[in-house]
Amino acid sequence: MPLPAMTVLRVFLLLASFPGAKKQAVRLAKGTRDWWSGKKIAVIGPTASGKDSFLARLQNREIPEIHANSPMGEKVKSFRVKLALAADQTVDITCKGVINIGGETDYRDTPSGWLSVCKGADVVFYVMTVKDLAEKKYLKGRRVRQDLDWLMTALPHLKQDALIHILINKIDEEIESHTDYEAFAEELREELRALEKTANKVLHPYEARYTGATLISMKNKQIYTLAINDALRSVYSAFHGTTKRQKVA
Amino acid sequence: MIAVRAYWILPNRDQRDDVFASDGRVTVPLRQLLDPRRRPDGFSHGVPTELLEKCGPKGLARILFAQKFPGWDGDKQIFCVSATAGVDPSGRIVHIGLVFVLGPGERPSFDLSYSALPAEDREHARALIDRMTSAGRDDPWAQSVRDLLELPADAGPATNVALDRSTVPFRSLYELGPNGSPRKAANRARWRTRALLLSVVIAVVGAWFSHAKSCSGAPRLDGSSLESAGGNGGTSWRFN
Repeated sequence: MPLPAMTVLRVFLLLASFPGAKKQAVRLAKGTRDWWSGKKIAVIGPTASGKDSFLARLQNREIPEIHANSPMGEKVKSFRVKLALAADQTVDITCKGVINIGGETDYRDTPSGWLSVCKGADVVFYVMTVKDLAEKKYLKGRRVRQDLDWLMTALPHLKQDALIHILINKIDEEIESHTDYEAFAEELREELRALEKTANKVLHPYEARYTGATLISMKNKQIYTLAINDALRSVYSAFHGTTKRQKVA
Repeated sequence: MIAVRAYWILPNRDQRDDVFASDGRVTVPLRQLLDPRRRPDGFSHGVPTELLEKCGPKGLARILFAQKFPGWDGDKQIFCVSATAGVDPSGRIVHIGLVFVLGPGERPSFDLSYSALPAEDREHARALIDRMTSAGRDDPWAQSVRDLLELPADAGPATNVALDRSTVPFRSLYELGPNGSPRKAANRARWRTRALLLSVVIAVVGAWFSHAKSCSGAPRLDGSSLESAGGNGGTSWRFN
């Protein structure tokens, strides 16, 4: 399997079971499941930020023996995956139309690059690393900020309601277990707030399309499960909130 | 600034944000030489992952992947050939490439200097040049690249070996054989043509045979009458 640098996934949620879950949680999970059904996702981000690992995790497999810095856009075979919304709630997903392309800025800016892959997406996941966050790469002129600027110019060409969510990967390099997750998030509160502020500022007037950032580890399965569940719900909740606001307006 | 129209695409060993290129002396971001927005659709900066997977760990070092984009920027042509060049700190395979921007009628010359490249890239650059300049017929990958060079420009964008997972269609003279080596893809087309010709010949012979059979049976006397096999415009005789 290639090391994906950029991926487009068509997601079909087929099944879900919620035995013993609380009513509200069930409603949220059901809402999340229903909303995500049939959605198309683009995964973009700098080279070696963990996009291939994300794909591997979705496919429930380890990083293969042969993996490479993706030099051109390549199609990936459709695959099915079970995704946990909570300990006792899973959904089956079919991913179709997956394309891998490099994370270097060269691939971002080529005609068949990021834009062509993001064009039909309902949700764009931007993957960066916790090191990028610590090194403040969201500041002007730096890589994450450049990519946010690129997203800003790309947004008018994407689907009308396309959402953007940031995944901050490789937190397993900082914490040992998923039990440290909340404490670590608290530790990074200031940086996360600064990133949030930058994203909202750069993406103006589309800031409502930004659904937030989630700390994640593609390597550590427990952290991944916890985080992806949170990310799926966050995107759904943000969409729900935006729709409500639009209705009120 | 590099002024020549041939340059190395260097392996991204340090996982940098840009792809770098060199004319053998000066190293600059590739985007300064070839604007990403003007790169041809499907342009590859190395060996496609599909080929790496199909060839397996043992065949990786032998792969040469080449692309030809005629009619780029008017009457120019882009020709590039790449090979694997080790791994980056994450263990990902990285690539080295040689790109030519050619004018009408120009051919690539595989003599670009590599002496000023970083030591770890130099060895891969030398190997690539050696393989492309060697006349040895025992290197099917190099042969497939040489054959790609001979492909007429009107064939459109082409690769030396057929790809199944490319998002852009390419013409290819070779396909990957079961042993992970390229073999002529034209053989399949030739066999298809031969089979088609054979079936046409069989059909013609069959039609002629049945026609001849019906003709030889037509003037047969049954004692009372004889009808010619002339169809609608035929004539009938009745013998009394």
